[in-house]
Order: sequence, then C-alpha cells, then structure tokens
Amino acid sequence: MTFAQAAEAHLDDVYGYLAWFTGDRAAADDLAGETFERALRLWHRFDPRRGSARTWLCQVARTVALDHFRSERRRTRREQLAAVPERFEEQFAEGLSHDLQLALGVLTAGEREVVALRIVLDLDAVTAANVLGISPTNCTTRLNRALKKLEEALHVAA
Amino acid sequence: MSQRDLTAELRGARIVAPSELRERVRLIAAADTTPTRRFTWRRALVVALPVAAAVAASIVFTRPGEHRAGGTVTTMQVGHGEVRGALPQAGKAVGAPTTSGAAGGAAKLAVPSAPNRVQVYGAYLALRLSSATAVSDGVKSALRIASSLGGYPASVHASSEAKVASADLVLKIPRAHVQEAITRLSALGTITGEQVDIQDKQAALNATDRKIARLQKQLSELRAQTQTTTTTKRIAAVEAQIARLQRDEAATRRTAHYATVQLHLTSAKAVVPHRQGHGQLHGVVVALTWLGIGAVYALAIGTPLVVLALLVWLTVRVIRRRREDALLSRS
Repeated sequence: MTFAQAAEAHLDDVYGYLAWFTGDRAAADDLAGETFERALRLWHRFDPRRGSARTWLCQVARTVALDHFRSERRRTRREQLAAVPERFEEQFAEGLSHDLQLALGVLTAGEREVVALRIVLDLDAVTAANVLGISPTNCTTRLNRALKKLEEALHVAA
Repeated sequence: MSQRDLTAELRGARIVAPSELRERVRLIAAADTTPTRRFTWRRALVVALPVAAAVAASIVFTRPGEHRAGGTVTTMQVGHGEVRGALPQAGKAVGAPTTSGAAGGAAKLAVPSAPNRVQVYGAYLALRLSSATAVSDGVKSALRIASSLGGYPASVHASSEAKVASADLVLKIPRAHVQEAITRLSALGTITGEQVDIQDKQAALNATDRKIARLQKQLSELRAQTQTTTTTKRIAAVEAQIARLQRDEAATRRTAHYATVQLHLTSAKAVVPHRQGHGQLHGVVVALTWLGIGAVYALAIGTPLVVLALLVWLTVRVIRRRREDALLSRS
C-alpha cells in the first residue's frame, strides 16, 4: 500500500477522529492536514505487520492533536483564560440529535476520543488501546464511563 | 435512550472530510517521492554478522606461526648429556652432546675417548622406531653391531604390549670402537634422547701404581732385614696389600676396556609436548574466552545502567501519561 492509497482510504477516519477528539471541525481540518504531512515524513517507519495503516494514521493524528492541546493550553494561559473550558462546538457532526449534541458537551476530550475510536471508527478494544497507549481494559472502562456520562446527560436533558 | 440506541446514533454520525481537505491531502500524498528503503538495520546485521565471523575465523586460523607442519612432526626429547670426568690429556674439546634426528647428531654424541688413558665410558641412546616389528629388528641389528665390533650384550630386555614394543639393551663395546658403535646404533631409528658419561680413571691408576711401587720398595727393605716373626708378618701384610691393589687396578683396566652403551628402543609415539595456544581450535577458544569475559563485564556494568534507564523510561512514561490525562480531562 502506498501512502497516497492509505491517505485516500483513511482520510475520513482521521478527520472524524480529530473532529471528535478536538470537538472543533475547523481545528480538525488543520490538524488532519498536519497529520498527513507528518505521516508522509514518517511513512518509511510504517510496518504493516505491526498494525493497519488506519491505526498508524490515528496514532500520528493523536500525537498531532496532543501537540495542539498543549499549545492551546499554553496560549490560554498566556491569555489568562486557562480557567475557561474549551467550548464543544455544536452541530459538528451531521445526524446527531440536538439532545445528544448538547450531551456531548459534558464529555472531556479524552472521553470523546475513546468514543470516536471505539464507536465512530468502530475499532476493537485492542486497536483503540494501542492508539491511546493504554491497556484494552482501561480503554473499555474509559468508554463505559463516557457512555454512562452521556446517558446521564441525556436523561437530565429529557 | 438506551445505551444501544445511543451507540447506534453515534455510529451513524460519521463525519466526512471536506473536499478542500481531501484535495490538500492529495497534494501532500502526491509529494511522496520517498524511495522504498532497502537498507534496514536488520538486513545490515544479517549481512554484517556472518561477514564479521568469517573475517574473525580467517584471522584466527591464518595467523602467522599457526601453520601446521605438513610432514611428520619429529619431536625429540632433548637428553642433556653430560660428560663427567676431566679429559686433561685428551687433547680434544668435549662438546656438550646435542640431539638431532640425524646420524650426524649421533656423531657429535660419540665423544671420542683418549685411547692412551684409562677411561670408563658410558653412553645412553634412546631411539624411536616405526613399529613393534622394527623394534624387534632393531634389537637384532644392535646385537649384530655389538658383536661385529668385538663387543657383547650385557643384558637385553624386550617387551611388547598391544602395538607398542620397547627394548632395553646394555651393550659392552670395546672402547676403541664406541664411536662407530654409537653412529651405527643411532642409525637404527630416530633419536629421542642421548647421554654420554666419561669418567677418567688414569689419575687414580697412576696413584695406585705409585703406591704399589712404594709398597714394593718397602717389601724389598723388609726382606733385606733379619727375619723375625714381626718382620715376617709385616712382609705378608704388605704383599697382601700389593696384591689387592693390583687386582683393583686390573679390574679397573678391564672395566675401562669396554664402554657401556645403554640402548632404549621403543615404538611408542613420542609424547608431543603441549605447546600453549597451538591446538586446532585454540583461536576459537581464545575468542570465546574473550567474548565471555566481555559479556561478564558488559553484564556487570550494563545491568545497573539498563535498570536505571528502565526506571527513567517508566517515570517519564507515567509523567507523560498523567499530563496527557490532565490535558484531556477538560471538555
């Protein structure tokens, strides 16, 4: 598989993952571009025997997103806005009910990330844990916690 | 809403990348001119390790001085011959006997005795022969050599066990022919040891002669005196002393007439003295020894460093994980 083929096949997954992770489609747009630039530079390190191209691209995307979060935190600190939480963008995904859009706002970035990997991208627990750098058990626990949080938020909204 | 419905709704909300981003990524991918890497560390090791082993082996096995002799290795036990007794009137230098596989060595061994002096000549010669049959033939040849030179065997002892045979002969050879005897005997096999022992008896015999002359003069004086019982007893005592001295002198001259040649013949292979570092696999053993020493040092020095590095890595990993969790714990 060439890099162009991998990029074409997994662009939506990477973009969706970043959008869920950051909660900001504009940021996801920028980060996706940056992800593929970095992935191109590191493509020689990709080993198909160690995982799929999608998993590897998600790992690169995660590194890029974490860098983004760090720089954002530094920026907000500089602007003395550290206390202000990042606002989850409403209507960032089509096909979601209004209540669910609102409920997603209660999730942290880490929880949105695990939801994106396990449910939206439909990765299995081992692959998702591999992307997150945690154990599969921890990954499942984190997902259950996020779903429960969403359920509670939806219940309150109802 | 149940968790199943919630999951289904989330799964249905797939986000599609905008066309601008897709186009941008296509442009990025089009810049992919990275050639397929043919060189990897694994491939390099697969090639480098056998090459290094081959080079090391060639160095170990082709070092100068490690060449084995192509022919038969002749190993000789050097018999440090010694010449006892001075040869003040021999007029020839007595060289220290040397050892060699050639008959020329035996010629050196055959230290010439002074024919006009009374000397007790002894020689030891050890020979290695090719087989037990050769030892048997060697015994016969040695006896023939002895008798042809006017000598005789004082003792012959031969034994054989399995394919190894040995024989010990003591030959009495007229001293005048001892050089020839040794030269001919040494040609029977390969010399593995030799020794010469010469004791000069001439001075002692001269002293004995002088003593006998003095006693005979004393005896003449006693006989010229008036014969009394005491004189008669003294004459008898002196005559007995002279007779004993003359017997001893005759025995010495008889002994000195024949040289004693001890001959040891064996078909046993010579014991090859162990030369340090000259075994077939000595180089490999040395290399493995040094590798082992290096491994022990590497373990002793490297283990604490590895443990330290592991601890540092674990600490960094935990810190990074906590920072990530803190970073992602916000909405």
